[in-house]
Amino acid sequence: MSAAAARRLIVGVGNAGVAVLDLLAMEEPGLKGLLAVNNDAESLASTVVRDRIAVPAGDPADGFLAADDEFGKAFAGAASVVLCGGLGGETSSFLIPALAILAKSSGITVVACVGLPFSFEGRRRTELAETALEKLHAVCDAVAVIGNERLSGGTPSTAAVGEAFSIADRTLLACTKALHGMISTSGPVKITRADLKQALGGEGSRALFGTGTASGANRLHEALENALSCPLLIQQGKTTPGSALVGVPLVLLLLQGPSDLSFAEVQTVVGEIERMAGDRCQVKTGVLASLPSGAPLTLSIMASVGGAASATKVSAPTEPSKASVIHSVTEDVGEKPSPVRKTAQDEVPSKRPRSSPKQTQGTLDLDTYQRGRFDKSEPTIVAGEDLDVPTFLRKGIKLSPPRRS
Amino acid sequence: MSSEQIFVGLEIGTTKICVVVAEGRSEDQISILGVGETPSRGIRKGEIVDMATATECVREAILDAEEKTNVEIGNVWVAITGSHLRSLNNRGIHVLPQPGQIGQEDLDLVQTNAKEIAIPPQNIFLHTILQSYHLDGNRNVIDPLESEGMQLEADFHIVHGIKTRIHNTLRCVEALKLEIEDVVLGSLASAQVVVTQHQKDLGVLVIDIGGGTTDYLVYQDGAVRHSGVLALGGDHITNDISVGLKLPIARAEALKLQEGSATDPADSPGGVITLRNDPGFLGCEIDRRSLETIIHCRVREIFELVRDDLARGGGELLGVLGAGVVITGGCAKLRGIAGVASEVLGQTVRVTTARNVGGALQTFENPQYSTAIGLTKYARLVTRDLRPVGFLDRIAQGFGGIFGRRGR
Repeated sequence: MSAAAARRLIVGVGNAGVAVLDLLAMEEPGLKGLLAVNNDAESLASTVVRDRIAVPAGDPADGFLAADDEFGKAFAGAASVVLCGGLGGETSSFLIPALAILAKSSGITVVACVGLPFSFEGRRRTELAETALEKLHAVCDAVAVIGNERLSGGTPSTAAVGEAFSIADRTLLACTKALHGMISTSGPVKITRADLKQALGGEGSRALFGTGTASGANRLHEALENALSCPLLIQQGKTTPGSALVGVPLVLLLLQGPSDLSFAEVQTVVGEIERMAGDRCQVKTGVLASLPSGAPLTLSIMASVGGAASATKVSAPTEPSKASVIHSVTEDVGEKPSPVRKTAQDEVPSKRPRSSPKQTQGTLDLDTYQRGRFDKSEPTIVAGEDLDVPTFLRKGIKLSPPRRS
Repeated sequence: MSSEQIFVGLEIGTTKICVVVAEGRSEDQISILGVGETPSRGIRKGEIVDMATATECVREAILDAEEKTNVEIGNVWVAITGSHLRSLNNRGIHVLPQPGQIGQEDLDLVQTNAKEIAIPPQNIFLHTILQSYHLDGNRNVIDPLESEGMQLEADFHIVHGIKTRIHNTLRCVEALKLEIEDVVLGSLASAQVVVTQHQKDLGVLVIDIGGGTTDYLVYQDGAVRHSGVLALGGDHITNDISVGLKLPIARAEALKLQEGSATDPADSPGGVITLRNDPGFLGCEIDRRSLETIIHCRVREIFELVRDDLARGGGELLGVLGAGVVITGGCAKLRGIAGVASEVLGQTVRVTTARNVGGALQTFENPQYSTAIGLTKYARLVTRDLRPVGFLDRIAQGFGGIFGRRGR
């Protein structure tokens, strides 16, 4: 299995999962670490993904046991696994949680990106999906749940059934790519496992997800506009882009683009999302800016709603994120505490009972420019520079301060 | 004077809302009857961000104009701006089935063909401005109507923008039960009164620096070659002063108007500006060079962005400006602005106000009224011998524009 060598795997399970991998392989032909898993020989025979594991047809449990060794080899040495597929079918509803357990027991970070069935697919599939989802929540580091029914809000009622599934597949693809990107982020601005778990919530939660791509001088706004216009980010019954984000406590933001992606652009998009989601929202940002100059900018926004645990619980991070560490430092003005000490303090029970966990804004470790009266307005970005920031500040010109008379 | 010869221009600007009422005179001239004006609220960078407040401001300005001119305003020409506006040049080609006389329908078809270009799905055409006709290889035919020919070509300057943003401006006017005669690109309106036909023929760059946007337009050989909008204006200068000198916005605005200068601080004698105590404001002393540095940096940057855009526009636009550069708009009053523009653009630069206009003198001597006055002149020109087409009809026609048929 050559997939074993890849550090980060994307595993497509069942027909929907394999279809998603096919789309992904066609979009990014050089992408490594794709693994197609299915018990449908026809589906596996037609996939363009090179690494495949065929699970014998019949009882999924027997099939899984029969292919156990192959899975073990495929997962060996992997740092993370993103499992994607549609829940509801007998195969995927068993295999996705089973693979999650197997990967987790090998110490691999496991993130699942799963679609729930449409209501017209019948009650049986919905029940199977819900059971599988419970298992996934218990095992995975994070689970992004795409409600196909919710997604159909963006599908014209006259759309063919095949088209509805195609939209669901494309959304699952975009979400899988974003999750893969998020756990692949490194460096000073990254998203951690803890951020993912916290943002995507626990049982009962449904992912809010949108992605947008654009290039050119106005790439940031166009990408943001496209992302916010995705159906899952629009509250049901409304038409305002991004309206579903209002009141969400934590939003994950991934920016993938060319190496000339500027700090001002990152700051602008964070500001826009904060403005949309409200003052109490934390935005955790990951940046993958390694593409050549001129490559398009892709912006992915992820959050969740409905999870009883996610809405209020802020879990202690297993590894403190850069953003939250920076915030901890900036809170203690006047001294220089080590990030580790601050994290340790958090774990010591305080004598004072906390009424509710305080939602805090993660900030990037860079000087914040002043936009003054334009703080709340759409920024004027030209060639990656925020022109609302005073020119003399951007040019680093020092002024004589006013003297009080 | 029949009511058909009264034209009302409405500019919903970032700093002020201005309504100019003018009457048409002979030979394309206009005479200003009066101006209604109110400070803007709910508008940022030339676009409406608070519909209810902006609508109320427009109502006040309209009432002010009605009171001053004793004219009941029913129809208006509205100026439009905003960073979402884009422009391009395109050629339309129409080949007649067999050689024959060019008719009006052929001119319409060539214009329709010129608009067969990919613009973003959310955008609509705002203007299709004729540059020149070519008939069977004969270039720059002024009026091919009724000439013999087979292959008719025409170059157009096309302006398009985001439909919803354009509609926001219009909704604000329609809420007051006013009929919109037409929407006009702000810089195109200004150009009608700040430059002469001779300057347009020689080649001229018109820059209108307002409160929220800088709109610019290049004429070459009498036709519009390039246009653009930057969401930067006087508001940015005020904000820079406020941030840099730690002053409240109102104080920064007053300081800009009273003491502001765009000249290079290296050429400044320097000195100290004393700001007196006011309720809620502790007086302070400000270094004049710091103020000039802030303003100079911003103004210079605006002209550099215009210069860079013209360079990207191709065709060596800066090399064809026989009549140089003309600056107008509220910010044109800033001291030293022409010098900075001249240095950056390498052209002769003049600050100008509306010209060849009769009536209320104090109105057209102020460059901040150029757009609103220009709207009335534009209206006069396009309705000279054509019955104006209502705005709703133009939406149905996809903003084809009577101006496209009239040429310049």
